[in-house]
Amino acid sequence: MTENILEIRDLVVHYETDEGCVQAVNNINVIIGKKTILGLVGETGAGKTTTALSILNLVPNPPGIIKSGSIILNGVDVLKLPPKKMEEVRGNDVAMIFQDPMTALNPVMTIGEQIAESVMIHGERSKEKALNRAREMLEQVGIPASRSGDYPHQLSGGMRQRVVIAIALACNPKLLIADEPTTALDVTIQAQILELIKELNRKFDTSMLLITHDLGVIADVCDRVAVMYAGRIVEEGTLEEVFNDTLHPYTEGLFNSLPNLRKRGEELVPIKGMMPDPMNLPKGCAFAPRCPYTIDECTEAVPELKKIGSHLVACRRYEDKNFRLRRNS
Amino acid sequence: MIRFIIQRLLQLIPAILISSFIIFFAMNLTGGDPAMIIAGDKASAERIEQVREEYGFNDPVPVQYIRYMAGLVRGDMGISYVTNKDVFKSFMARLPATMELAFASVFFAVLLSIPLGIYTAINQNTWKDNLGMVFALFGVSMPNFWLGLILILFFSLRLGWFPSGGRSGIISVVLPAATVGLGLAALITRTTRSAMLDVIRQDYIRTAKAKGASDRAVIYKHALGNALIPIITVIGLQLANVLTGSVLAESVFAWPGIARLIFDHISKRDTPMVTGSIILCSIMMCLVNTVVDIIYAFVDPRIKAQYVRKG
Repeated sequence: MTENILEIRDLVVHYETDEGCVQAVNNINVIIGKKTILGLVGETGAGKTTTALSILNLVPNPPGIIKSGSIILNGVDVLKLPPKKMEEVRGNDVAMIFQDPMTALNPVMTIGEQIAESVMIHGERSKEKALNRAREMLEQVGIPASRSGDYPHQLSGGMRQRVVIAIALACNPKLLIADEPTTALDVTIQAQILELIKELNRKFDTSMLLITHDLGVIADVCDRVAVMYAGRIVEEGTLEEVFNDTLHPYTEGLFNSLPNLRKRGEELVPIKGMMPDPMNLPKGCAFAPRCPYTIDECTEAVPELKKIGSHLVACRRYEDKNFRLRRNS
Repeated sequence: MIRFIIQRLLQLIPAILISSFIIFFAMNLTGGDPAMIIAGDKASAERIEQVREEYGFNDPVPVQYIRYMAGLVRGDMGISYVTNKDVFKSFMARLPATMELAFASVFFAVLLSIPLGIYTAINQNTWKDNLGMVFALFGVSMPNFWLGLILILFFSLRLGWFPSGGRSGIISVVLPAATVGLGLAALITRTTRSAMLDVIRQDYIRTAKAKGASDRAVIYKHALGNALIPIITVIGLQLANVLTGSVLAESVFAWPGIARLIFDHISKRDTPMVTGSIILCSIMMCLVNTVVDIIYAFVDPRIKAQYVRKG
């Protein structure tokens, strides 16, 4: 038996629209071990959310289609499950925290009912017991149980996100997917929510896929990091490996574009250009048009994810043994 | 909440006063001398003048209006010129027939259109959706009287399943309710469809799916619960409309309801009967709308919260 909670193998997801085929996720491999927190970083449109929705088999269809690949969750390929079985997996084996807590809750149901619903879908028969469990979960996420009869509009954004977390953790999922859980919140609330997620993750022994574009969040929470660009993973390793021994030029670009207190007053260095149109990806490395290290070989074929030194990177420049990023030299 | 309901009911009073004044004033503008109708064709000029004085037709309109409203509060809306019967009682005698038809047609419409609206929404842009929408278009564009006649031809004359007209027990309401209801169903279907389409794209639907909720639970519990406000609005408006009578359907099916009462008495220039009936209809309209407002508060906690805060 495998020790991994999640293994995504060769996943390809396209959105087939009238205008053309959007290649959102192109052949990615992700592995998450027990009690591990993997951070998935990348800019908007890199395919992070699509990857996450694929794990729940909730890619909006039409237009989204999972073209190929397999997603082994806890030893079972969820893409091959019939719809009824998939419903049992959702919320129970894998749960998701969404980006915008203002819209993620049903406005006409009390928060207690919304948590209890999840408990009842996954086996609890008695509504009374489910509501008790809901009150317990509210306490866990730091909301007084007495508020279980409140409606979402009576709560602040941070509290709503706590409710969303309570819904996700109500059935003790083995894998928690958090899709930019703090993006829509105030900075002070962000820190609280991150602390809460970390704490509950330890308490419930959950593995987690944390999607974010915020390297600060990654540094705070994650064990491992995967950097995604134009539907592909371009670098993957432990937090230390990726942060201290950055290999991919795109990852380097991400770090360079962060404001740095020690270099106050200096201009930020953004990555030049835009991400390529996912309907029309280049033949070679998708980052090549923006990459300061590009050579001719880069535009010829898509680089494969290979182990270079300590961890995995997809960059052809490492065929040259002496190649180093400026950041590392 | 009770305070809110009482408040809403009190707000009805100015609405009723304004609408009744407009109706009363407009009826006075329609011309024709009621005194001549009362006195009869062959009455002398003195007799007509005497009637005018007796009934207060010489007073200014506002004075007549105040006198009329004072009577209305006591349930006295005058006597019909034609039948010599009490207007209020005549109206109330017809009300059950109209209410029966109204509720039956709205029931029929809701039964048909909400499932159809949901079905077309979840099958958006497929042939199933198109077929449903063609049906809805058919429903709106078909004239009531024509549909009524076709139904009579087929179901009562050929098959003999239902009576062709009149009000005789529950079976007689089927054809008129279907006729009126089909027209209503079209609009409710469209409203349900668009409200559902709006709701099923919301994030909380995705949250519900991510919990593992079945498609059924997602649609009926999460989506429909949130789509109800526009649907209830349309149903309320339609109910108010048919409660105040559907002249064509009542005529085609010889249905003894309010619409035919008003229609018959307009042609006979029976001012007290027409004025009284229209004012009573407008009061019913206001009542239905208030009930709809109150239902909103029960459907949507956000609306309830607003009221509770204000009240």
